[in-house]
Amino acid sequence: MSTPVGTRRSFVKWVTGLSSAFIGLSLAIPLIGYVISPALTRRKASWMPVEKVENLPVNEPKDLDYAVTTQDGYLETRQTKAVWALKHPDQTVTVFSPICPHLGCGYHWDSQDRRFKCPCHGSVYDMNGKVLGGPAPRPLDVLPSKIENGELLVIYKEFKSGLSTKVEL
Amino acid sequence: MASRLYQWLDGRLKLKSLGHTLLDEPIPGGASWIYVFGSATLFLFLLQAVTGMFLALYYAPTPDHAYDSIQYIEHEVWFGWFVRGLHHWGASAVMVAIGLHLLQVYLYGAYKSPREVMWMVGVILFLIMLTFAFTGYLLPWDQTAYWATQVGINMMGTLPSIGGFLVRILRAGETLGALTLSRFFAIHVLFLPALMLMGVAVHLFILRRVGPAGPWNTEQTQNRSEPFWPRQVYMDAVVIVSLFLLLAALAYFLPFPLADKADPADHSFVPVPEWYFLFFYQLLKYVTGPLEPVATWILPTLFILALLFLPFLDRRSERRPTKRPLVMVAGIGFLIIVFGLLGISLKNLYAIPKSDPSVVQGQKLFVQHHCAACHRIHGEGGKVGPDLSYVGNRRPDRAWHLRHFTDPQSVSPGSIMPKLHLSDQDKNNLASYMLSLKKG
Repeated sequence: MSTPVGTRRSFVKWVTGLSSAFIGLSLAIPLIGYVISPALTRRKASWMPVEKVENLPVNEPKDLDYAVTTQDGYLETRQTKAVWALKHPDQTVTVFSPICPHLGCGYHWDSQDRRFKCPCHGSVYDMNGKVLGGPAPRPLDVLPSKIENGELLVIYKEFKSGLSTKVEL
Repeated sequence: MASRLYQWLDGRLKLKSLGHTLLDEPIPGGASWIYVFGSATLFLFLLQAVTGMFLALYYAPTPDHAYDSIQYIEHEVWFGWFVRGLHHWGASAVMVAIGLHLLQVYLYGAYKSPREVMWMVGVILFLIMLTFAFTGYLLPWDQTAYWATQVGINMMGTLPSIGGFLVRILRAGETLGALTLSRFFAIHVLFLPALMLMGVAVHLFILRRVGPAGPWNTEQTQNRSEPFWPRQVYMDAVVIVSLFLLLAALAYFLPFPLADKADPADHSFVPVPEWYFLFFYQLLKYVTGPLEPVATWILPTLFILALLFLPFLDRRSERRPTKRPLVMVAGIGFLIIVFGLLGISLKNLYAIPKSDPSVVQGQKLFVQHHCAACHRIHGEGGKVGPDLSYVGNRRPDRAWHLRHFTDPQSVSPGSIMPKLHLSDQDKNNLASYMLSLKKG
């Protein structure tokens, strides 16, 4: 675009072009932000109370169901989530995501064999989540957990399946 | 590069002659600032279309989610407040722009032969825009939206014989609810835009076929003519960019928060329509009883018909305003009535005391602490202490009240009122309530 020197006609053209560009840009920038905003804002995960620690057996993983309120845009829904919790002899607790890291099936605890087994493709894990067999690319996913006033608190997360490293969704 | 691409495309699409057709339209009498309103209206309509499309990305047209989805746009989505602000203020601006455009054409007698059809299409576009306003108003599903739409729909019910049926069609049933909202949404975002685009295309097509009218003084027209580009485009651009800046500033400085979520059970809510319907709202207050249908549909119908068929009511070819006294008097009379009613309505609205949260809180404290056991307000309460009905006039000093609550005897010796053990915040709220108790 030419600078506003010279004739009246070029000034007029310059103002017209600049006005269009100004309106275009002042709309485009906010509107792009408006569209991409949900893609770039992470959901706020919060600590959810799951169970009293005293109710957990030592060295025996337990399947715990609890209700969480999830925020999906403007929609607030209550969902039931499940996790596997394992209390160690020192009273600490490890919490596993209930989803098999291979392809996302739900696995279960076989108390006879004392192993976690995935029914879909036969992945097998020990009590601490270590892979013992099958196609699983990584150990069971451990969820962030803490104990406050005797209550086990968990942040529910999901991870990409099929990878050898843990990548949060 | 750009010019080579242009040459390449021009070789195929004949762009030069298209550019010539679009930009070199002769304007009789030359470019003028008075001709900008049509372009301004078109720009504002397009801005509404763009912001509307983006709002629809997050909006959910169901009573369960409409309100929450707009709160989400307003508070969570980046620039959501800006997009909604532009759409909100743009709706008002487009009404002003249409009004000015219509007045200019009216003043210049530009609706006369051969432009009758262009005028009539313009009036239809104006009616479509009013329907946009009416249907869009319900979408936020807050108290204002719900109750104002309720009143608007009920007005249609006063139409003889078909009224009741029409109301049921508009509501999609007996009550204003989920089906009403989805039909208002569909009309607002699908049906009306399609109609509007067709109407605008026809309006502009006719403009290009018959050409702009130019000044009312035909001698000027014969002497001079100038193409649309560049001076008229420049004037349009300056006005459009100023309008855009104004709307952006309004969106930024005057956010438009939602009222409470619509509550069909709350009959105490007093809805107020948008300002461009206020004159009509005020008119309805004067015309009551058996005459009500006159205001609710007879006058509007006559007005719309008169406006639509104006070119056939005023058929002389004379365009100079001074030679058209009857038309000018009718126009000015109409403006005086509309702006008079609008003025009265605004004055009444602002006379309603806004319920300050501090006053509301103070009123609660007054009840909680059983102040009415001794004090009387508008005939309610005991007679031991002074009547507080107009204490705001008698004691307009906040500091006096604050000291009085802490230690009544310090400012009112001999008073038997007990000391109030309240937090500073509560004392302040109670004082606000006292100060609000005024005459008139």
